Amino acid sequence: MADELLIRNGVVYDPINGVKGEKKDICIRDGKVVDSVTNPKVIDAEGRVVMPGGVDIHAHIAGGKVNAGRIMRPEDERKGVEPKTKVCRAQSGYSVPNTFATGYRYARMGYTFVMEAAMPPLAARHTHEEMIDIPILDNAALPLIDNNWMTMEYVKSGDMDLLAAYMAWIIKATKGFGVKIVNPGGTEAWAWGKNCDLNDSVPYFDVTPAEIIKGLAVANEKFDMPHSIHVHTNMLGHPGNFEVTKDTYDLVKGVKASKDRQVIHTTHTQFHSYGGTNWGNFESKADAIADYINQNDHATIDIGSVILGDTTTMTADGPMEYSLYQITGRKWTNHDVELETGSGITPFLYSGKVSVHTIQWAIGQELALLVKDPWKVALTTDHPNAGPFIGYPIIISHLMSKKRRDESAEDMHKAIFDRAALPSIDREYDLNEIAIITRGMTAKALGLHEHGKGHLGVGADADVAIYDMSPEERDAGKIQKAFLNTKYTIKAGEIVVKDGEVVATPPGRTIFVTPECDDKLTDEMMVTLKDKFAKYYSVTLNNYPVQDAYLPNPYEIKAPWRS
Amino acid sequence: MQTITLKLKEAVRSGIAAVPVEVDALTPDQLFGKNEAELKAVKVWWGNREENTGDLFDVSVEGDAGNAEEVKIVFEGDLTRVKRIGDGMKAGEIEARGDVDMRCGAMMEGGKIVVKGNANCWAGREMRGGELIIEGDAEDNLCAMYRGEDKGMTGGKVTVNGNAGELVGQYMAGGEILIKGNADRLAGLNMRGGKITIESDAQWPGSDMTGGEIVVKGETEMTPSFKFVETATVDGVEYKKYLGDLAMGEKKAKGTLHVK
Repeated sequence: MADELLIRNGVVYDPINGVKGEKKDICIRDGKVVDSVTNPKVIDAEGRVVMPGGVDIHAHIAGGKVNAGRIMRPEDERKGVEPKTKVCRAQSGYSVPNTFATGYRYARMGYTFVMEAAMPPLAARHTHEEMIDIPILDNAALPLIDNNWMTMEYVKSGDMDLLAAYMAWIIKATKGFGVKIVNPGGTEAWAWGKNCDLNDSVPYFDVTPAEIIKGLAVANEKFDMPHSIHVHTNMLGHPGNFEVTKDTYDLVKGVKASKDRQVIHTTHTQFHSYGGTNWGNFESKADAIADYINQNDHATIDIGSVILGDTTTMTADGPMEYSLYQITGRKWTNHDVELETGSGITPFLYSGKVSVHTIQWAIGQELALLVKDPWKVALTTDHPNAGPFIGYPIIISHLMSKKRRDESAEDMHKAIFDRAALPSIDREYDLNEIAIITRGMTAKALGLHEHGKGHLGVGADADVAIYDMSPEERDAGKIQKAFLNTKYTIKAGEIVVKDGEVVATPPGRTIFVTPECDDKLTDEMMVTLKDKFAKYYSVTLNNYPVQDAYLPNPYEIKAPWRS
Repeated sequence: MQTITLKLKEAVRSGIAAVPVEVDALTPDQLFGKNEAELKAVKVWWGNREENTGDLFDVSVEGDAGNAEEVKIVFEGDLTRVKRIGDGMKAGEIEARGDVDMRCGAMMEGGKIVVKGNANCWAGREMRGGELIIEGDAEDNLCAMYRGEDKGMTGGKVTVNGNAGELVGQYMAGGEILIKGNADRLAGLNMRGGKITIESDAQWPGSDMTGGEIVVKGETEMTPSFKFVETATVDGVEYKKYLGDLAMGEKKAKGTLHVK
């Protein structure tokens, strides 16, 4: 007998299919949404908000850097200790939760897909091992391709076809999803104790970050890639960096997308929307970034909104982490990944009493509120950099309630009133817009809507979140509570959360992309790559690619060559 | 005044494995107002099992108390595997008659603990207030922070009549520690406030300190990163006063180290 489920009478928000709060039944059979069911188990969702499972476009949940954060912060692990239950493994951690807690807590918020946003290619196995250990969630990972010696050499020689061949190879070898760019050139320069602005020359390689970004955008669009390049722009966290961010968008304006989507997604844009010239006159330039996004259609953003409190910052942007460490004097570490990338980690406390933190807190929300089209903006906290993902419901409640924002602003540093725009913004998100920035937009920007994610149309994955709130609810506290723990979360047709408790922990799938490159081009690229492995890598080429065994539940997306 | 005597049953200690008992639930503030039957029913961890206090201890109660301050708990028997005595206690008094296991007086906020013997590691861990007296020796990490925390002891007073192990008062930010014997390596590591007095010898005290004060009355083996300032008199005795630790950078080197 087929496994059937009927979610009856819920108020459904399914923005990809244009459903804006309609009373509807959702029929599920064998893990997919279907037209009708014959003998289903019934869930009564009368009067409750129903959405597709959440799709997180950017979070750091698995891999060497996340684990280094856990090792470095036993005090953070102690903050989130929850004993095992009949179905759950023991949990620990707040800003860097263990793999089990990551799966359970996302599922309890109604999320069913999370993108691990930075996978060092050489550490791909570690990343996949942790993703196997994250229960419930489907996931994917973006390999870091920008500070890579091969990439920079092809950008320098201008051979875009060979660059595309290398990009394809590294995505295939790491079982990755797309192209991640983090402080292009800057992370490599950090190996020389330096950093790079957009048009600085990268030491030794004699290319600029601008050339790397443009090159990788062109290479990415040579394939039918589901996602655009995913960029952490240069000069993260520096006052006045909003110009760099805008210039970065302009770089790829002329590049034509291979599919109906953006050509660049910039991530945790809050960290890149800063005005001023120093920490004293630091101010929000979210308006300038939002204006650009409003006027152009080739770029999307996620906000990277700040959650007040203690967190663990971690990024492949080593020089930025070092600057942060110099400000706080707390512990820090950094890491170099051979020819490919690097990283840095340091704990950080966002305080509403500090002017800079208060303005940062405002900027993330300003971006969401000032970008007019929610299909261009995604909700993130760059977990755990601006705050842990468990804070998403706090942001949702602020975006939905001007009153809530005003109440929060009252307790914060007064700089929010003269160096940020948030207190003067009246817009409030409705539930349809929340559904867009947490599932519809993110699924589309990742190209996953074509693979059953982020919507509830017939044939979609039966990933459903049922929130214990009425669509008329206006109380910010109740909204926050509802989004923290679902009434039900359904993953691939199975009830995984009921009344805020995890009741089943099926394994998730790992989604990976196979860019299909011409053999002749690949062979030519391999000559150079073999030489790199022979001369510089600590592993041999044969031992490098991730074996199929690391993806026990794989889902492949093929990306054919376009030009 | 009320005295609650808790004598560990011999059977608890006579098993093959010395499974520890954790008694953080048995503080004066938590036991105040309970009758004997209720006292015996308080749950404590014995290894990975939750047991009734009355099954692990012989319980006797004398007198009455009007508030938690008037409650005194006396632990008797072999306490070498009894952990977390007075952990988190807020008021009242505890007397432990014998050597105690780890974390005695950890996270303590108020009241007084007297240990009539030696204390194992982490006594007074991240202590906030109150008084802890150890009549014997204290092992490593006395009044230190737990791994990873950046704040150790912030208040209260600790006296050790014997010697203390390594890392006394690591990341200490406030309060007072008096060691009447020697302190092993790295007392006051990363200290930034409060005062540690060591009446005998100390090795490498105050490393990475950025604030607070350490006085060593016996022999001191110093790290080289302290700067001599002047000869200073503390309680009528002349000491050499140093500032440090310069390893943390000149601006941050605001800790004071007085040595003979």
